[in-house]
Amino acid sequence: MLQTERAWSGHDIVFVTTGGMVAERLRGQYGVPVYVVGESNREHPLKVLRVLGRCVDILLQERPDVVVSTGAAHGCLLCLLGKLAGAKVVWIDSIANVERLSLSGRTVQPFADLVISQWPGVATAYRRVEYHGALV
Amino acid sequence: MIFLTVGTQFPFDRLVRAVDEALGRSALDDEVLAQVGHRGYRPRHMKWVETLEREAFGERVARARALVGHAGVGTILTALEAGKPLLVMPRLRRYGEIVNNHQVVTARKFAELGHVLMAHDEREIPAQLAALESFVPVPRHANPGGIVARLKAFLDRVADGRR
Repeated sequence: MLQTERAWSGHDIVFVTTGGMVAERLRGQYGVPVYVVGESNREHPLKVLRVLGRCVDILLQERPDVVVSTGAAHGCLLCLLGKLAGAKVVWIDSIANVERLSLSGRTVQPFADLVISQWPGVATAYRRVEYHGALV
Repeated sequence: MIFLTVGTQFPFDRLVRAVDEALGRSALDDEVLAQVGHRGYRPRHMKWVETLEREAFGERVARARALVGHAGVGTILTALEAGKPLLVMPRLRRYGEIVNNHQVVTARKFAELGHVLMAHDEREIPAQLAALESFVPVPRHANPGGIVARLKAFLDRVADGRR
């Protein structure tokens, strides 16, 4: 995400991340609000619920015009909730997905306003998925 | 020095053992240092550590002539950024090494492009270790400008619409 700084640096932004350590660095470096939603996975439904609630809180408070995500499950969740709250959704799929979009990417793709894959072959395999080179 | 790393999360004994046994049969020109993970297989024919702090890890990567690792994108990008030859073996779901087999496709793609060498499984390790001695990876040229420009255009248009 930080590699795309030149795209969003002029805008009013907030970060949402899963890790506290990353959050500290982001606050120091960019001086903008950073929300930490914590880790969760399917094996811990209670944690998932907590993350879900946290994401709803953030969206209600910030009312973003655009949600930009590079993944994974949490980003997917924020994209979905953000869309419901009226935001536009941008999904940048990870370089790890060399043959098809990630599961999260495939979930977001039908309603996203912009989906970018970092592999040309993946972009051509879907409607409305774009390729503009790779970040790494 | 060849630096074998299995990453910080889980051991990858199938890879460590395969390299160790290959070294037991015939030594390489380079000595090998293995980072084997917590409670991982303890090699007999190479030096090993369980884990390394980020800085120490970076130092080993910089000093290594070549790397061996699992086919995680993190490992692959580390090697490409450092310009080091890398041999990868994918973690497989059937051995409980990972939740799905995505490393197989990742490895195949980066190998196809000449960025890394790939061993599909432990049986291919001895031959690929030998190949690693002379492997010259195709460098990767990242081009973040394209994605940045597209994202910037998108965000600027949304912002203009709100004004």
